[in-house]
Amino acid sequence: MARTRTTKKLAQRIDLNYFKRPTPLKRAKFWLSLLLPLLGLLWIAERTFFKDSRVYSSGRLSEPHAILEKQCDLCHARTAGEFSAGASIFGCLNCHDGPVHHSVDLSENDCVSCHSEHRGRINISATSNASCAQCHSDLRAHRGRSDYANQIQSFESRHPEFAALRPVGGVAARDPGTIKLNHAMHMKPLRTGATGSEVQLSCGNCHAPNAAPRPVTYSDARYVSASVSYLDNSGPGSSSPDTPVERHPPSGWELMAPVKFANACAACHLLTFDKRFDYGAPHDKPEVVHAFLTRAFREYIAAHPSEVRVQREPRRDLTGKPLPPAVRVLTSAQWVTERTAEAEDLLWRKTCKQCHTLTPSRRTSHRKIELPVNQGSNTDKLSSIPAELPDVAPANTTLRWMPHAKFDHGAHDGFTCVSCHAKALISAESSDVLLPGIETCKTCHAPGPEHAESRCFECHTYHDWSKRKEVTPKFTMPLPTGNR
Amino acid sequence: MAATLTPPGMIDITLDGRSVRVPADTTVFDAARMNGITIPTLCHLQNQTPVGVCRLCVVDTGARVLAASCVRPVEPGMKVVTNSEKVLGARKTLLELMMSDHPSPCARQQNSGDCELETLAKAAGASQPRFAKRTVARGKDDSSLAIAVDHDACILCDRCIRGCDEVKSNFVLGRMGKSYSAGIAFDLNSPMGDSTCVSCGECMVSCPTGALTNKSVVGTAIVVGPGAQGFEAEDLLQIPVFKGVSGTFLELNRGAIVKRRFRKGDVICREGEFGSTAFYILEGKAKVSISTPIAHVKTQGGAKGLFKRLSSTLVAREEDKREEEVRDRTIPIDASVDLAYGNPVAELGPGDLFGEMTCMNFYPRSAAVIAESDVVAFEMLRNVLDIMLKNKTFRGQLDQTYRRRALENHLRGVPMFADLSPDFIEHLKESVELQRFAPGQTIALQGDPADSFYLVRIGFVKISENYPGGEMVLAYLSRGDYFGEIGLLGGGVRTAACTALDHVELVRISGEDFRDMVARFPSVRTGLEAVAAERRAANQQRMQMVHNVPIDQFLWQGLMEAQSLLILDLQNCTRCDACVNACADAHDGITRLIRDGLRFDQYLVATSCRQCRDPLCMVGCPVGSIRRRNSLEVIIEDWCIGCGLCAQNCPYGNINLHPFEVMVDDPERAGRKKPAIKQKATSCDLCTHLKEPSCVYACPHDAAHRVDPRTFFAEMLGQGPAK
Amino acid sequence: MRMDKTQRGWALLTLAILAISAVVYVLYAFESPQGPRGGSTIGLIFGVAGFSFMIFAALLGARKRVPTWRVGRAQAWMRGHLWLGFLALPIILFHGGFHFGGTLTRVLMWLLLITVFSGVFGAALQHYIPRVMTSDVPLETIYDEIGSVRALLRGEADRVVESVCGSLGLNKTSGEDGQRAGGFTALRTIAASAVLLRSTAAVSAGASAAVAAAPEIILLSEGESAPLRRFYLNDMRPFLERPKQRGQRLGDTDKARAVFSGLRTLLPAGAHVTLTDLEDICDEARQLTRQERLHHWLHGWLLLHVPLSLALILLGAIHAVVALRY
Repeated sequence: MARTRTTKKLAQRIDLNYFKRPTPLKRAKFWLSLLLPLLGLLWIAERTFFKDSRVYSSGRLSEPHAILEKQCDLCHARTAGEFSAGASIFGCLNCHDGPVHHSVDLSENDCVSCHSEHRGRINISATSNASCAQCHSDLRAHRGRSDYANQIQSFESRHPEFAALRPVGGVAARDPGTIKLNHAMHMKPLRTGATGSEVQLSCGNCHAPNAAPRPVTYSDARYVSASVSYLDNSGPGSSSPDTPVERHPPSGWELMAPVKFANACAACHLLTFDKRFDYGAPHDKPEVVHAFLTRAFREYIAAHPSEVRVQREPRRDLTGKPLPPAVRVLTSAQWVTERTAEAEDLLWRKTCKQCHTLTPSRRTSHRKIELPVNQGSNTDKLSSIPAELPDVAPANTTLRWMPHAKFDHGAHDGFTCVSCHAKALISAESSDVLLPGIETCKTCHAPGPEHAESRCFECHTYHDWSKRKEVTPKFTMPLPTGNR
Repeated sequence: MAATLTPPGMIDITLDGRSVRVPADTTVFDAARMNGITIPTLCHLQNQTPVGVCRLCVVDTGARVLAASCVRPVEPGMKVVTNSEKVLGARKTLLELMMSDHPSPCARQQNSGDCELETLAKAAGASQPRFAKRTVARGKDDSSLAIAVDHDACILCDRCIRGCDEVKSNFVLGRMGKSYSAGIAFDLNSPMGDSTCVSCGECMVSCPTGALTNKSVVGTAIVVGPGAQGFEAEDLLQIPVFKGVSGTFLELNRGAIVKRRFRKGDVICREGEFGSTAFYILEGKAKVSISTPIAHVKTQGGAKGLFKRLSSTLVAREEDKREEEVRDRTIPIDASVDLAYGNPVAELGPGDLFGEMTCMNFYPRSAAVIAESDVVAFEMLRNVLDIMLKNKTFRGQLDQTYRRRALENHLRGVPMFADLSPDFIEHLKESVELQRFAPGQTIALQGDPADSFYLVRIGFVKISENYPGGEMVLAYLSRGDYFGEIGLLGGGVRTAACTALDHVELVRISGEDFRDMVARFPSVRTGLEAVAAERRAANQQRMQMVHNVPIDQFLWQGLMEAQSLLILDLQNCTRCDACVNACADAHDGITRLIRDGLRFDQYLVATSCRQCRDPLCMVGCPVGSIRRRNSLEVIIEDWCIGCGLCAQNCPYGNINLHPFEVMVDDPERAGRKKPAIKQKATSCDLCTHLKEPSCVYACPHDAAHRVDPRTFFAEMLGQGPAK
Repeated sequence: MRMDKTQRGWALLTLAILAISAVVYVLYAFESPQGPRGGSTIGLIFGVAGFSFMIFAALLGARKRVPTWRVGRAQAWMRGHLWLGFLALPIILFHGGFHFGGTLTRVLMWLLLITVFSGVFGAALQHYIPRVMTSDVPLETIYDEIGSVRALLRGEADRVVESVCGSLGLNKTSGEDGQRAGGFTALRTIAASAVLLRSTAAVSAGASAAVAAAPEIILLSEGESAPLRRFYLNDMRPFLERPKQRGQRLGDTDKARAVFSGLRTLLPAGAHVTLTDLEDICDEARQLTRQERLHHWLHGWLLLHVPLSLALILLGAIHAVVALRY
C-alpha cells in the first residue's frame, strides 16, 4: 500500500503546542467552571444584599415560628467577640417561659434538646419519643422517682398498663367509688322508667363531658334547681402533687362530668318518703333530709289537724304483735315524730341505701345542721333529734383516671362509648374499673402514618404550667417593607 | 621520381600520397601530426608513453594488417594512408564497439560535452552502435571527494594509469581483472577514497571519457566578493600545500577555494549553521567559542506553580554540575583544539584548519569563530580540502598541530586516562598514529587479531557484531569515545566489527603502548576492565535478544531497538492528555512527548524518546552534545547548538527543536547580555531530575508506563506472532 | 480508568468506611432525641468528613495542574477521587440525616447528587469508551489535532487525485502554522547531499518511508479519469470537508466500500492504487469522526461534573462557615 504510517510521519502531523490551544470542549469547561460558581456566589451575594438570610436556613421553621423566618438574629443572637452565633435557650426565653418538668429540675436540658427547629413546618411541640426516653428509658439514672415505671421507651415499647388498671398487691384494681351501680343492668332494657313503659338507657343519658349540657332525659327539674349541701368530691389521682398542669385550660370536653343524681338518676330513682306528699325528699345529707321531713310533716299536720287521729291499717297487722289501738289520737308533735321516723326508716334502709353506702352514725344527734341559707326560710333549731342519722359514704367518683396523662373524650367522639368501655355492658359491680386498657388505645395509637399519633406528647406533657411565669414580650412585628 | 639524399637521422616516407621527411624513430602518429594530419586517438597523450591499446589511430602502411600509428615507428619509404576507406571502416567499427559499452552520454559528455569517444563516434557516424549493449555494469566508485569514477565509461585506455605513474609518480592506479571485467583499480582495488590516492587530479585530467570526472560540490560555490579573493591555478600551485597537484585539476576547482580576509571582530563562522567549507588560517588569530550559554535547562519541578512559563530557566554551569561531569571534560569541536568545559573558548592560529567535519560530512558548525586580529584564511569546499588533506606535507603539519595541541586534552578527556603521568603522555604524543577512514571503510573486522587501541577524533564509528542472518549494531562511537580495549585486554581477537560511518579520524595507540600503559597505571586497567566487562555484558544481552524475539511487527516498529518505551494502555487511557501536560510542565511548557504514534497490541507507543540501543540521533552531532550516559539513556547536553541534525536523524520523530530564550553576548555593547532566541534540541530525559517520568507519574488512569519492551512484551512475543 | 482488580483495595476501603459510618449513623439516629442533625457532634463529623472527601476529590483538578509535584501518583489521586468522591454522597446524606434542609442545603444536596451521579456516569463511560475507541478507531490521533489532520488528509487526497486526473483547480491549503512535532522543524537547510544514515533501526522503522514517497504518476486522459474526477469533486471532497454532515455516502462504511468497488470497475487498473489510497483516506476521515464523537462522550460529562463540583465546593464552604456560625 502506498500509504504507510510511521511514528515519525504521525508525529509530524501534530502541532507541538496543540495542548496549549483551547478546544471548544476545554473552553466550555473553563467558562462553565467559572460561570457556575460565580452564579452561586452571585446568588448568595444577591440574597445577602437584600438581607435575606433565609438561604442559610437549614430548613423551614415550625408552624408557629414561621413568622420569624426572615429574622434569623432573633434567635441567632450575636455575642460580641464570639464567632458562633448559634441559637441558644435565651432566644427561646425571649418569648417563652419553659417551666420545669415535674419535681425534677431538668434545667440543664436546653429547649433544643427536645424542640428542634428548622425541620420544616412541623409542630415544634411534638417532641420525639426519644426526647422523653432520654430520661424515661432509664429513670433511675436520671434521679427519677422509683415509683414510676422507669424504663419506658415509647408508647409501644415498655409503656406499662395504665396505673388505674394495674393490680395492686395481687388484687385486681378496684374503682374506689361508693355509689352502687350495676352498669350492666342499666344497659339492659328497663321495664319501668320515666319516659315510658320500657326504656333503653344510653351512656349519654347519664354521662356527658363537663362542657356539654347536662343530660335532661332522666333529670328532675326540682333536683336540678335545688342546691345541695354536700360537696362533689373527686376521685384519687385527680390532684396528684406532681401532675403537670396543662398549658391550655381544659375545654371541658376532655373528661366526663361527674354523674349527678339530679341529672341522671332522679327521673327513675324517686325519693318518695310518704304518700301524703307528691314530692320526694331532697337529695342531700341525712341531716338535711331529716330537717326537711320534720318540717314537711309539721307543716302538713298544721294544715290537716284531723290527721292526728291515726287509724291503724288492719292489713298490716300480720306479725302477731300486740297491736296498738286501732285509732289513736296523737299530738301533732307526736304525729310529726312518728311520721318522720317512719319516712326516714324507709329512706335509710331502702331508698338511699339502694345506691349509697350508709353506715350507722357514731355521731350524736346534736349535730348542728346548717341548712342552705336560701332554703331555710323557716329554719328551726333542732337541737335534739331523736333519730339516729346514718353517715353517707362519700361517693369517691374518679373523675380523672389518668392523672399523668390527658385524655380527650371530645377527640374520640366518633366512637361509641362501648367500643372502648366495653366492660360497661357487663360490669355488675361498681368496683369494676371500666377504664379501657392500654391495648385498646394501641389499636389506633401506633407509629406510622396510618395510625393515630402514638408519641409521648400525645398524652403526656412536660412543662408544668402551674409554675409558669409571666414573660414580657420583646418581639415586635417587622415593619412591612415595600412589596416584600 | 628523384631520389634525393636523405640526411642521416631523417627518414622519408609517403603520407597520404605526400612525400615527407621526418626524424627517425618518429611514430607514424607524430609524423602525421607534424605534417598537419590529425589521426584520431583515445589512448594516446603527448606526455605519456604510447601504448597503442585503443587501436583507433590505425593507418594503412601497406602491410597485411593495419598498424596503430601511435606505436608504429616510421620506416624509410613507408607509404602511409590515414584516411582510406578501409582505415575509416576499421575505425568506425572500433568506435561502434566501444560505444556499445559506453553509457552515452557519459558524465563528461553531460558536464562539459567533451567526451573524446563520443565526439569521435559522432564524427564517424557511429553514435548508434549495431552491437548489443553490455549487460553487466562494472560499477561506480563515489568514495573520493574530488573525483568520480564510473567504470562503465572506462575504455581501458590506461591514460590515467600512465598519468599517475609516469607523470606524478604516485603509483596508485593500475589495471585489474581480465577480459570483460577488466578495469582500472586504485591500489589493490580499493575504493578510490580509501586508497593512497593523493587527489592530485592527474588521472582525471588524463581520462578521455566520463570514467574519471571532477566532482564539483553540488549547488555550492564560494561567493567571491570583497574580502574573498579567487585564485588562478598558477597562484595556487605556488602554495606549498598544493605542490604536486595537477594544474588542470586545480583549474577545474577554481571556484572551490578562496582566500578571505577578515577584520578583527569579524565572524568567520557561526555555530549551528550548516556549511560546506573548511577554513585554513594563513595569518592572524581567531577565537573559537561556543556562544550558546552552556547551562542546564533547569526546571524547578512544580515550584513555578500553576503558570507555565515558556521561557526557560538557565542555570550557569558553575553553580550546578551534573553527576558524571568530570572536571577535565572537554567539548569536542570541529577544530584541532577541544574546548574546556568551564570556559569554552580557545584560540586558533596560522596553520590551523577548522570546519573539517562541516566540510567533509556536512555537519553543522560546532562553534563560532571570530577573528581576534586581522585574519587571512583559505575557505575551501571539500574537494579542495580533500586535495589538501591528501597532501603529505600538509598532513604532516596537521598531525603535528594535533599532537601538540589537542592530543593531551583528548587523552585526558577519557576519564580513565586522567591519571596518566605527563611523561607518558609525552611518549604517547610521539608514538600515536593518526588514521583516516572514509565512509563505509572497515576499521577492524570481527575476529581480526587485536593490535591496537583507538580513540575517535573525528566522525562516527559503528561497532557491530555479525550473527547468523544479520548484523547487530552495538554502538555508535563518536568523538571522545574509544574502542579496541576488549580485544586487547581479552583474547587478543576483535569481538566486533568497527566501521567508519563517515569521514573518521582515529588516534591509534599501538598494542605495545597500550600494554605498557596498562601495566604502568593500574587505575587505567581497572577502569578499562570495568567498562569492558560492562560492554561485554550489554552486548551479550543484545545478542540474546536477537535470538529470542520473533521478527514481525515488533521489529518493524523498531520496538526491539528500544531500551525504554513510553506506552499507553489504550484500554485505560481516556485521552485526557495529562501525560502531555505533565511533560510540558516538567519541561518549561514544552512537551517532549506526543500522544500519537503507532499501536502495538493494545498499547500506543507514544512519540517519546525510546533510548534506542542503536541511537541514530547521536550520529552526526557536531558537538557531541547528544550522548549516552553510563546508564545508557540518551540525553542531550546543554551545549546543543540547535542544528537539528539529531531530530532529522531520529527515525521516530522523537526529537524536536524548540526556541529558548537565553542571554547571549550583545554584539553591540561588549560585556552586556541580551536575550535571544536559540534553538535547542529536546527529547525525553526520563525526568531524571524528578526520579520518575512525569508523564507516568501524572497518568491518573494507570495507562502510561515506561517499560523495557523486551521484558514487557516478553510474554506476548513468546506466545506467538503478535499482530 | 478501568474498573478492575487493582481497584479492589479502594473498593474494600470504601465499603468499610461506608459500613462503619452507616452503623454509626443508625446508632446515632436512634439514640439522639432530635434525630440525626448536621449540627450534632456526629453530624458535624459526618459533615466534615464528607466535605473533606469532596475537597479531596476537587483537589484532583488542582493536582492535574501541577503534574510534576511529587505529591503522590496521579493514579492514586484518581482512585481516591473516584472512591472518596463517591463516598461523599452517603456521608453527606448521613450528615443531613437524609433531609435536604433549607434553601442553601437543598441546593447543595442537589449539586452533590448531580455531581456524584455525573461522576459515576463518567467513570462508567471512561471504563467502556476507551475500549470502544481502541477497537473502533485504530487510526485515532490526538483529538485537538483532528481538524488539522483532516486538512492534511484533504491535501493528501487532493495530491493523490491530481496525480491521476491532472489539476483539479482546487485551492492548495497553505499550511504550516505552528510548530510541528516529530522533528519537523529540523528540516532546515541541510544540504541535499548530507549523509543519509542507514542502520537496522532506520530500515526496520520504515524510516525511509518517513519522507513520503512521491506516488508514481500515471496521468490518465480526461475521458478516462472523468468518473474519478466527478466522484472526488462531488462526493469525496465534500465528505472530507464536512465529514459530519449527514446523508453522505462516504459516511457509511458499507456504502463507501460499494462506491469504491463501483469506481474500480469504471477506472483503468493503473488508477486502482490511487483508489485504494482514497479509500484509505476516507476510512481514516470516518474514523476521526467516530473518534470525535467518542471523545465527546468521553469528556463531555465533565462539562457538568467539573463546574457543578466547583460550585458545590464554593457553596459548601459558605454553608460550612455559616452553619458553624449559626
